[in-house]
Amino acid sequence: MIRTFAVTLTIPDNEAFTAYETLARLGIPVARVTRADIWQFDVDGSAPDLARTVASIEVIHNPNKHRLAERDAHVPLPGEVWIAARDDAPSTNVAGRSVPGVRGVRRRTAWRLLDDGGRDVATGYLERAVEFLCNPAFQVALRS
Amino acid sequence: MKGNQPRVAVLVFPGTNSEDETARALRAAGLDASLVHWSQPETLHAFEAFVLPGGFAYEDRIRAGAVAAHDALMDGVVDAAHDGKFILGICNGAQILAEAGLVPGTGAVRRPTAAFAPNAGGRYQSLHVHMKLALAPERIPILGGIEPGEVVSAWASHGDGRLAAPDDELARIAADHLAFVYCDRAGRPVDAPNGSALGCAGLVNADGNVLAVMPHPERDAWTYQHLDADPHAVRAGTDAALAPSGGIAFFECFARAVLAEAVV
Repeated sequence: MIRTFAVTLTIPDNEAFTAYETLARLGIPVARVTRADIWQFDVDGSAPDLARTVASIEVIHNPNKHRLAERDAHVPLPGEVWIAARDDAPSTNVAGRSVPGVRGVRRRTAWRLLDDGGRDVATGYLERAVEFLCNPAFQVALRS
Repeated sequence: MKGNQPRVAVLVFPGTNSEDETARALRAAGLDASLVHWSQPETLHAFEAFVLPGGFAYEDRIRAGAVAAHDALMDGVVDAAHDGKFILGICNGAQILAEAGLVPGTGAVRRPTAAFAPNAGGRYQSLHVHMKLALAPERIPILGGIEPGEVVSAWASHGDGRLAAPDDELARIAADHLAFVYCDRAGRPVDAPNGSALGCAGLVNADGNVLAVMPHPERDAWTYQHLDADPHAVRAGTDAALAPSGGIAFFECFARAVLAEAVV
């Protein structure tokens, strides 16, 4: 069973802002860029304690600056693009330690580009952005 | 220009951290090296060659080298590369050149076909290494006078140094762009400590004027920096300990190329 968590910053996201500045320089009409770390766990059964366990691993979630949310969907949301390593073999440990019931974990980065009305930018612009956000030599871009 | 020394720009992005030792090695090799910051792209025309030193440009945000590769300062570097000027990237500079598509240079500008990706195992590494010239010297005009199979001593210090590319691109690299491979002191090939494909420690473009190396020769350019340096001599600051040696030879080759080009 796969369980998917999104970790976002509650403090300003400097990396997202740098992405915004670079994309704007490339001529993409974006007003805001959001970013989330996506952690996908392959677990035995339902792993009822997984959310609490994940929340306690500070490499993944520091409650002073992160928000942790479990997602029902295990694929990118509409308007979102996930960047993953091309050789995306799941790690057998979580942040350097094994977690009972977890067979493997994958980490991706979710990006979303919004225009000045708060809407997702047009698909064509997102595709142009992917040329910057993803190096196809070792990464793949996953879309909804 | 000092006398008729050609000027070399050492490029500094926010987060670059090896500019001073790189400039020092270039000066010791006989070049007039100056730091050029990301806010000074209009000054690049005054330089005959360019060096992108190590560090963490833009904190490696998005990917190592990705943001710097799209910086306005790199517009001038891309133009210079196409004009045949010599461009050397070390560590983070190598990552920037790969992200800019200048090495291996088989695709379009800023459409990377290869990457210095996260190390196998995902850990940052800092260790002394040797790298061996893997192409014929005439294929690397940026390193004038380098000997066939020459071994360069250096320190590797990176978290993203593993050459990664699709199989067809790796075949192209193996055939004509693999400039340096990891080796032992005697030049015998060794497994790349970072899992780099082809044992790659450095890439060169088709014209041989753009070179990217992951290890830092400038951090092994003085006797006191060597792995086997005499600690007593280092502490005493003897002339022998402070003498240039080892990795300085790499910069002397670069200087020879730049000086020869300036004469032409």
